[in-house]
Amino acid sequence: MERLKTNALSKSYGGTHALKDISMDIIAGEVHALCGENGAGKSTLIKILSGVERPDTGKVHWRDAPLPLGKVDAIEAHGVVAVHQEPVIFPHLNAVDNLFVGREHAMACGIWLNQASMRKQTQNILATLGEALSVTEPVGEMSLAQRQMVSMARALIHQCRILILDEPTASLSARESASLFGRINVLKEQGVGILYVSHRLEEVFKLADRVTVLRDGASVGTWAIKDLNRDTLIKHMVGREVPVAPPTSSPNVKPTKQPVIEVSALCRKGAFNDISFHIQPGEILGMSGLVGAGRSEIARALFGVDRFDSGNILYGGRTWTSLTIQDAIAHGIAMVPEDRQLQGLVLPLSVETNLLLPSLANHECFRGLDQGTMRSTAGDLVTQLGIKTESPSKPAESLSGGNQQKIVIGKWLHTHPTLLILDEPTRGVDVGAKSEVHRIIQALAAKGTAILLISSELPEILSLSDRIMVLCGGCNQGILSRQEATQEILLRRSLPTDSGRDI
Amino acid sequence: MKQRIHHILWQPETFLALLVASLFGLMGQLDPAFIQWHVQRELSTHAWELAIIAIPMTLVILTGGIDLSVGAIMSLTAITLGMLFQSGCPLPLACLAALLAGILCGALNGWFITRMQVHPLIITLATMAAYRGVAEGISRARPVSGFPSSFAWLGQGLWLGIPVAGWLFLGLLVVMLWMMHARSFGTHVYAIGLNSTATRFSGIRVDRMLLAIYTFSGGVSALAAILLVARRNTAKADMGMGMELGVITAVVIGGVSIFGGRGSLLGTCLGILLIHETREFVSWHWNRDELNLLALGALLILSVVFQKLLRHKRATP
Repeated sequence: MERLKTNALSKSYGGTHALKDISMDIIAGEVHALCGENGAGKSTLIKILSGVERPDTGKVHWRDAPLPLGKVDAIEAHGVVAVHQEPVIFPHLNAVDNLFVGREHAMACGIWLNQASMRKQTQNILATLGEALSVTEPVGEMSLAQRQMVSMARALIHQCRILILDEPTASLSARESASLFGRINVLKEQGVGILYVSHRLEEVFKLADRVTVLRDGASVGTWAIKDLNRDTLIKHMVGREVPVAPPTSSPNVKPTKQPVIEVSALCRKGAFNDISFHIQPGEILGMSGLVGAGRSEIARALFGVDRFDSGNILYGGRTWTSLTIQDAIAHGIAMVPEDRQLQGLVLPLSVETNLLLPSLANHECFRGLDQGTMRSTAGDLVTQLGIKTESPSKPAESLSGGNQQKIVIGKWLHTHPTLLILDEPTRGVDVGAKSEVHRIIQALAAKGTAILLISSELPEILSLSDRIMVLCGGCNQGILSRQEATQEILLRRSLPTDSGRDI
Repeated sequence: MKQRIHHILWQPETFLALLVASLFGLMGQLDPAFIQWHVQRELSTHAWELAIIAIPMTLVILTGGIDLSVGAIMSLTAITLGMLFQSGCPLPLACLAALLAGILCGALNGWFITRMQVHPLIITLATMAAYRGVAEGISRARPVSGFPSSFAWLGQGLWLGIPVAGWLFLGLLVVMLWMMHARSFGTHVYAIGLNSTATRFSGIRVDRMLLAIYTFSGGVSALAAILLVARRNTAKADMGMGMELGVITAVVIGGVSIFGGRGSLLGTCLGILLIHETREFVSWHWNRDELNLLALGALLILSVVFQKLLRHKRATP
């Protein structure tokens, strides 16, 4: 039988064990899901299997022969190929160049490249994936899903027998994910073994044949998917029961209240068009839609990051036709941006500094920065939000994704925002931390903060929001109450209806 | 506590301080006369302009930028001072005008960087040529001299046993140390250098801070030019030639990362001390220029490689 088998793999960085004694196998023709919270050791395992890292001890066997560990090219030559979370893509090059970079076909004794043969092979591979892509367009101008296809094609260029996919849907919309699943099933039928890593449990249940769960670097076990349900899988991952974001039963909103913010006819060319809505104190307005529907762009306009062309925003007793980030903050708007690592945090700075960054000037006193109140404010936030860190003076980059996200939320809490904009607050956050972030959002709303919640995860939007606005192509497709909204309605409204771009 | 000691021990500043100390020890062995107070005080006159400009340069590099135009600003402001004085303008007023010219030059750099989003390396490379071009043009490469002897005091005189220029440097250093460590300004500077997008998203006026820092760099370059004119008793368009390289070398030897966000003013001070002492000792003891360059190059490589190792060592205790 064709299978990839790991034997007691261990790896430690410094003093911490990233992997302890992992033994598992992936059989050709199956989809084997790898689950675990952030920091459970999934990335380390992938790095070892793809040759980026070398394990301290242990072996990997492929077809009962040991694999050369720690050598990416040698492992790829055996047909074991990984598509990493941030795919290695050269945005200015086209699909052909991206596929063949480093392994170009040469002709005339190597002084010329055989462009024709490379292009032909690229087209063949893309055809087996069922994707009609331009091979001349720069990859950077393609959609995220198409780029994902290019990186998969790059993997398939070897006679790939085992394909490792690390969070392939992290930046894809629901429709793009569905098309990716189709491709995965095709590969599976062709006898390719797939190791599938994802935080989205729905996908695991939809795709996988077997599941291996990692926790704290150790393997908890491997199960056939039919022996598991969502709750048992989560239990294995976190080692305890996690309530699935319970919907807040009683709405916090009294319809008579004065809205915190009223947006009317907001437009920005090429991003969004004629957007109007209002949010009341204590209300959570969900914003649903596909990636690229204009959700983040609206959030950025409200927070003063980008200009808008026309329309106005009424809040803080004023009508704004243009505003800066400082205006927004001074009048009680805060934003947790989409990209935590790039926009949310200064990763090398300490947890404490990150938490205090927006309000550092408040801690200036006659003799300098008041270290005492700074430490106590940061300490309070760490306890209040349950941020898991050895000490607030540790750099933010040493924390897991979920805890980093809590810092990004926490840094606004002591500016006491009246409107909190959350753009994908649980992206790349593990299951346990996700429900904690949900709890924090609900607690803030209960205290009267108006919340604009942008999320691509429909269950999250449906369980948290009081009302849900659906966007498509920059236009408002209507605002639904929680009672009216279902996954089907949201999805249907968020899909473009113009001809040629059906589901 | 143990962790804290470990942390302090592996700071680049500790390593630099040890390096400075051993350098003094070595120089004392080779040539005891060199490390006498009055010799050191005399030789220090060569270093004050560089030291003063290194302060704003540290801020600029901490934000992830660079200012190549400092030498050219010195030249332009020295010429402004000289030409105004020659045309009968009172000296204090001429100095003020020179300062203003420096501030304007720096502000122009900052405007291009923040408003036009031009990379600092490109724009200051361009203004480096342009400012010096203007200076050569308006002075027609003729030096101005004949400043009153009272003016020379600024560049050559002593006050309480320390050169006047030294007092200016210390004053500036103390103010900036306070700004960097006792005000939110300092943390914001590091934050910009490490991730300017996240800093902007935290509501910090990144553009305004950068504009201020480049303006400050221009103003301080003008101050250095005034000191240089006072010391040499002439104003020439080739003044400050190559100053930018000396200053950047000192800052980088002092452990400030050229990518921004890491380093300190204290490190810069040690860096200045290192290159100044090395340079002076080589000329004093051997009096050979090529050795001087060799020593400077070796020092830069030594410092950068060691700091790389230290950073690695600190990351994996």
